[in-house]
Amino acid sequence: MTMLPERAPGAKKLGLVIDLDTCVGCHACAVNCKEWNTGGEAGILPDYDKYGPQPDGVWFNRIHSYETEEGGCSRTVNVPRSCLHCEDALCVTVCPTGASYKRVEDGIVLVDTDKCIGCQLCAWACPYGARELDEKAGVMRKCTLCIDRIHDENLPPAEREPACVATCPSRARHFGDLADPESEVSKLVKARGGLDLLSDLGYRPTNKYLPPRRATVPSAPAPPPSPAGKGLGAALLKLLDKALSR
Amino acid sequence: MRPAASILLLTTATGFGFGLLAWLGAYAALGLLPPEAPVLLAAGITVSLIFASLGLAASVFHLERKERAWRAFTQWRSSWLSREGVAAVLIYPVAIAFGVCFWRDGQSLCTRLLGAATLIGSLGTVYCTAMIYASLKPIRQWHNAHTAPDYLLYALFSGAVLFAALRTVLLGAPGPMASVAAVMAAAAFAAKRAYWRHIDGQAPLATLAAAIGTPNATAKALDAPHFSENFILRQMGFAIARRHAARLRHLALGVGFALPLLLEVLAGVPIAPLTTTLLALACAALGLLIERWLFFGEATHVAALYYGRPV
Amino acid sequence: MARTTCYMCACRCGIKVHLQDGKLRYIEGNREHPINRGVLCAKGSAGIMTAISPARLSTPLRRIGPRGSGSFEAISWDEAMRIATDRLAAIRASDPSRLAFYTGRDQSQSLTGHFARMFGTINFAAHGGFCSVNMAAAGLYSVGGAFWEFGEPDWEHAKLFLLFGVAEDHDSNPIKLGLGRLKARGAKIISINPVRTGYSAIADEFLAITPGTDGLLVLALIHCLLEAGRIDTEFLIRYTNAHHLVIDAPGAPDHGLIARDAAGRELCFDRASRALVAAQSVGTDPALSGRIMLPDGRYARPAFALLAERYGDAQHSPEAVAARCGIDAPTIRRIAAEIAEIAFNQPVVLDQPWTDTAGRHHATMTGRPVALHAMRGVSAHSNGFHTCRAIHVLQMLLGAVDTPGSWRYKSPYPKPIPCASAPGRPRVPGGPLDAPPLGCPRGPEDLLVDEAGEPLRLDRAFSWEAPLAIHGLMHMVIARAYESGPEKIDTLFLFMSNMAWNSAMNPGETTRMLAECDEEGNYRIPFVIVADAFASETVAYADLVLPDTTYLERHDCISLLDRPIGSAHGPGDAIRVPVLKPDRDVRPFQDVLIDLAGRLGLGDFADDQGRPLYSSYADYMVRHERKHGVGPLAGFRGENGLASGKGTPNPRQLERYIENGGFWRYELPHEQLYFKHANRAYLAGARAMGLIDDDAPIVLQLYVETLQRFRLAAEGHAVPRPPERLRERIIRYFDPLPIWYVPLEEAMTDRARFPLHAITQRPMAMYHSWGSHNAWLRQILSENRLYVHQDLASELGVADEDWVWVRSRNGSLRCQIRTMRGVNRDTVWTWNAIGKRAGAWALKHDAPEFRRGFLLNHIISEYLPKHGDDAPHSNSDPITGQAAWFDLTVSLEPCAAPSPEDTSPRWGANPLHIRKAPEGAR
Ligand SMILES: Nc1nc2c(c(=O)[nH]1)N[C@H]1C(S)=C(S)[C@@H](COP(=O)(O)OP(=O)(O)OC[C@H]3O[C@@H](n4cnc5c(=O)[nH]c(N)nc54)[C@H](O)[C@@H]3O)O[C@H]1N2
Ligand SMILES: Nc1nc2c(c(=O)[nH]1)N[C@H]1C(S)=C(S)[C@@H](COP(=O)(O)OP(=O)(O)OC[C@H]3O[C@@H](n4cnc5c(=O)[nH]c(N)nc54)[C@H](O)[C@@H]3O)O[C@H]1N2
Ligand code: SF4
Ligand code: SF4
Ligand code: SF4
Ligand code: SF4
Ligand code: SF4
Ligand SMILES: [Mo]
Repeated sequence: MTMLPERAPGAKKLGLVIDLDTCVGCHACAVNCKEWNTGGEAGILPDYDKYGPQPDGVWFNRIHSYETEEGGCSRTVNVPRSCLHCEDALCVTVCPTGASYKRVEDGIVLVDTDKCIGCQLCAWACPYGARELDEKAGVMRKCTLCIDRIHDENLPPAEREPACVATCPSRARHFGDLADPESEVSKLVKARGGLDLLSDLGYRPTNKYLPPRRATVPSAPAPPPSPAGKGLGAALLKLLDKALSR
Repeated sequence: MRPAASILLLTTATGFGFGLLAWLGAYAALGLLPPEAPVLLAAGITVSLIFASLGLAASVFHLERKERAWRAFTQWRSSWLSREGVAAVLIYPVAIAFGVCFWRDGQSLCTRLLGAATLIGSLGTVYCTAMIYASLKPIRQWHNAHTAPDYLLYALFSGAVLFAALRTVLLGAPGPMASVAAVMAAAAFAAKRAYWRHIDGQAPLATLAAAIGTPNATAKALDAPHFSENFILRQMGFAIARRHAARLRHLALGVGFALPLLLEVLAGVPIAPLTTTLLALACAALGLLIERWLFFGEATHVAALYYGRPV
Repeated sequence: MARTTCYMCACRCGIKVHLQDGKLRYIEGNREHPINRGVLCAKGSAGIMTAISPARLSTPLRRIGPRGSGSFEAISWDEAMRIATDRLAAIRASDPSRLAFYTGRDQSQSLTGHFARMFGTINFAAHGGFCSVNMAAAGLYSVGGAFWEFGEPDWEHAKLFLLFGVAEDHDSNPIKLGLGRLKARGAKIISINPVRTGYSAIADEFLAITPGTDGLLVLALIHCLLEAGRIDTEFLIRYTNAHHLVIDAPGAPDHGLIARDAAGRELCFDRASRALVAAQSVGTDPALSGRIMLPDGRYARPAFALLAERYGDAQHSPEAVAARCGIDAPTIRRIAAEIAEIAFNQPVVLDQPWTDTAGRHHATMTGRPVALHAMRGVSAHSNGFHTCRAIHVLQMLLGAVDTPGSWRYKSPYPKPIPCASAPGRPRVPGGPLDAPPLGCPRGPEDLLVDEAGEPLRLDRAFSWEAPLAIHGLMHMVIARAYESGPEKIDTLFLFMSNMAWNSAMNPGETTRMLAECDEEGNYRIPFVIVADAFASETVAYADLVLPDTTYLERHDCISLLDRPIGSAHGPGDAIRVPVLKPDRDVRPFQDVLIDLAGRLGLGDFADDQGRPLYSSYADYMVRHERKHGVGPLAGFRGENGLASGKGTPNPRQLERYIENGGFWRYELPHEQLYFKHANRAYLAGARAMGLIDDDAPIVLQLYVETLQRFRLAAEGHAVPRPPERLRERIIRYFDPLPIWYVPLEEAMTDRARFPLHAITQRPMAMYHSWGSHNAWLRQILSENRLYVHQDLASELGVADEDWVWVRSRNGSLRCQIRTMRGVNRDTVWTWNAIGKRAGAWALKHDAPEFRRGFLLNHIISEYLPKHGDDAPHSNSDPITGQAAWFDLTVSLEPCAAPSPEDTSPRWGANPLHIRKAPEGAR
């Protein structure tokens, strides 16, 4: 159903918190996502021209690298981009078929590929480029927040997390209930000033991004150089004079 | 945004069809249908429905899973696309009833009411189409106050041009429609220029920095996730060179609106009305296709930011 | 679901492989596995696509067209084995060293090396020679361990982490896990790297160093610490040879050696008793400075005094090196101050008693939480050995070796210094070698040279050209085989290395050498056997191709005898088990090698009657014993599987590994976790487990006496002596204390013509050439660009995607650029190994890897410019023979986009054409 659900009191807001200060841009989450979801409930994520000149395919998650500059400090920032499971998900309301929907109980935005007609309007409605058309099956695809893992009772509880979170080698991805202020993810967002991407557009994404930090170790003041050529300063001589015990 | 042929065809053809239908409805509603009208109206409704159907067929063609197209009628409560579909389908019985009623009763209350319904329905359908685009927040060239009125205006313009031509073909002269079409052309011309002035003056919807969660920094894209073009880039990364766009804009204005304006004035004089109205129709069609191509081609999607492309 | 070990790269992560209807469905990280704790990288996650790659070889092949044409006929395994056996048997009967056996990142060195040893060829090496032997050698000779995959930072306790020249490294997932942990704790990460991507992207501080100058930076840091008197003198006297007395008698045959007593024990000067005493004696107050008279009346100086004098000099001050390094002096001083602050004012104190080798009991383990790690950015320069040494010296001065918060040994390290055995040589002509072919020379006497001092080995490892080439000179193998001709080498046997392409310097020349014939039409390299799993560039140059399985189709053994999965927490090893049945006529290479060894009747592989001892690699893994009780796998030994490390073979060993998730791991008791080089309990335990032969403390070598031995020989004081032409070189570079010099090629190149440095980096989602045939990975990286600093680009008038010629003294290549800020202004770089030869890897003819990928290798030469009359030297570190990939200097010249838009150079396509075997030949 294409209307956005009323948020029931106590309903969860499941989502990801991605730490841009820790992401090394390794693409692990992207590939593992593809691996998990191809053949999973989402069906095969197609690849086109696998060994030819235009290798391409459907991915739910893609990793970009940027260079930023702020206050004279420049750095490289790696940004994984997948569906943010927005609260005001225009991608859902534009859908003419009801194939796109947002779940009441946990806020996950999904595509029912049995209903989708491949009109692509939802992809146009998403500012994050999170939806990709499956050009083989003719249906729209997107991150499912690994709904077939996180709610799978057959998995040990520790493994009930999205594939991309489980696989992230630098542990830059966190998963949890952002409606619960006591959850680990909510605390992280609070502590680290978690942000909405493109907040001005008003989609109110559930996923949050933790901005890159500055160094937390206070720099020690550097001692002035000793007179040129006198490397073996008084400090060292004094140190070497001290009795030692082998 | 990638200008897909099916969508260009959809929006222009339905513009002609529903525009014509709107004029027919308006005439009837105002009780202004001429006495020789039954033939004209029958032909008009037929032609407009053919145009509308052509457009709708094209839109189905745009769907990846055509066999499921029926599902698109279900979500009218939230989706403009769904509403467009519902409206487009509902207009058929109304328009047909309108024609039948006039055929049978002439200028009756029923005809006037059905005419009004046809007017509202057809403009409503065009409005729905427009709102599909106007509601897309990530595309600043669409999500603005121009899109919906412009679509209505272009539909009325193209409908008027079509009406004038049809009338000339059937009745030998365009009647008042030449003037109406000329006025509409002038209005469309002005609206398009205003639209372009608007989008040219728009600030980008967002900065790359805001898109990547470092809002206070300046950012530059370094590496994309892939080398080949993917769906997002094919659809939303479409970019047209400025010089190219400027040329096309002139062409659209000239061929699409200025020439029809001139031709309709000539037709109204009347100077070779059959030639001029048909030529005006051809020009309007071509010009609107170019205009529509630009409407897509010049539109930028904020998602392209992630690839470091200007939006 | 089966648990095995990933092999999409050499990191050895544990994986759980899920099958559905006999087909691969999902590969995930094994959460119990000590290496990756459940995480999996991009490559590991793409394993499914490698298992179905069209580039997989499917049958043994015999060449029918000219070499390099790609024309083969399919043959049976019987025939392939017969060809190989006949050839090798003939070689063995004449001179076993005419077999040159070189392997790549195979993780089977304990087997392949043993095969070479038993075969009796000295011409064997594996991977390390073109990789990072500088790190291994500098580490083994300095601290008895190494960076690379042999040590790791104390991720739990480090407060300051300095990362030199690492983009990815072998410990791909552990490093990422570790960086994540540092970040979570708010520790500070400083990356010293010309390029800011990947790990450097998340560093709190990034120093865009000029390539090849890390040695200067580190020595300047040392200068500052000395200046400020911020060094750990207690650590130095207890665990290093800082107080050992170095004989100061210029011109004497023992000048620069450590003074010893009659019993051969090193001496120090005890300030308490004012006497010369054995340096290892306890309770003394050793002098670290001054000049001390020896009993024979000559003088000696504590090693530390030499060090302090050298690096205290103004030439090592930050001000003196700043411009050259591209890092300003105040920054260097500040970093030195930060290091000192954290090391000395914020020590980590663990409530853990332990006892050192002197018998002293310590109530706590106290460490310096400054951890250093370095890899190829340091090693792949021809001054890398000394640079790496400098880093180890810095660690020692800080007392930051295997202490809480610092860099730590991974089991089975530390090992005695230098390592246990010298390079093997045949005891009787034609017989097996007396030791593994690769070892650590302890002095000139261990070199493999003839009477004239000229190299015995094909690659000239362990010769005066590269005395400490402990991993061989992989990058020289094909060139030297070509040069020396059929007299020296009959068969080149290559396993799991793409040596004609991305590990070749100058692949165009290399492939030409492989295909060149003499006047009679005989190939200069008579016979080439390639054992590979995929249709690589090198396969096209084989005479005989032995197709291997993929990693999910075979047994493998990640052994303590090679590169195991040990960590600072204790030893460990792992296995691979077949999860899939091969759907092609391929065999696991290790099975094939054991079969071959059996057919050849090699010792340890066949009994006295020449009957093969092992039926398969799995069989060998369980039953082979290298020493009594020590076999390929250290876990679950003994009859009942309860013995660790040493024990009789356990017939159920593999089952026990499988039950345990494919690995074995031994957790060291807490008292053994740090100070392993001098930790009594650790050393005793390691000895009991067979990791080391002797539990004497491992004395860290601030001053490497071994180097001085080579120098003395060059000065004419010892035998053997280097040939005249190499004497000066040995004297110059064999300095027992770290030195810095301009990398060799750079020093010999006209920098006005080639002002820019050119380097490569590992892309995280690709493993060398392995990934381009993987349908998912190639979507991420199917072509590469040359990255150029924005300012440099504007100066040259080029922008993103523009084309340039990159020229070096060795040649030119044409490619597209991309601009960035996070790169040293005078450095250009690209991803490694993306460019492919058209026709290879079963890619379509117009694949971007061929058309827009490129290798920097095309403009790197394996030879340095000629100087004087001497034949050109190899492009290597003069001490270790390390391939100097990153010494390259280039110029850029913008050019118009070519039509078609292809990179240059390009070669004609040579895809494999395989004539089917006649019916019934199988
Ligand atoms: N994903 C992936 N992982 C791999 C591999 C792979 O191909 N792909 N290969 C494996 C192998 S065989 C190896 S050897 C390791 C190597 O792993 P790394 O040691 O990470 O090797 P490189 O990627 O060559 O990175 C060298 C780094 O040094 C920097 N550098 C170059 N010159 C200098 C210098 O003079 N000073 C400093 N400070 N930095 C410098 C480069 O910018 C680069 O970041 O990775 C292993 N892991
Ligand atoms: N310019 C430049 N060149 C470099 C470097 C650099 O930094 N810059 N780095 C150097 C370094 S450190 C290294 S280690 C070398 C690596 O260079 P190579 O050792 O040549 O690297 P790979 O491309 O990994 O080649 C491995 C071969 O193993 C094959 N293979 C993969 N899996 C299997 C298997 O399961 N069984 C068998 N039998 N074969 C298999 C592949 O098909 C491939 O042909 O490159 C070196 N070259
Ligand atoms: S990120 Fe895009 S696809 Fe996902 S919910 Fe938001 S708008 Fe929809
Ligand atoms: S593509 Fe599918 S999911 Fe998207 S709007 Fe159209 S019908 Fe809905
Ligand atoms: S949550 Fe699941 S579907 Fe979404 S990006 Fe992560 S792995 Fe992919
Ligand atoms: S796996 Fe983690 S570190 Fe790697 S790209 Fe994804 S979020 Fe970043
Ligand atoms: S780092 Fe990646 S490719 Fe390498 S072994 Fe681990 S999971 Fe496999
Ligand atoms: Mo390597």
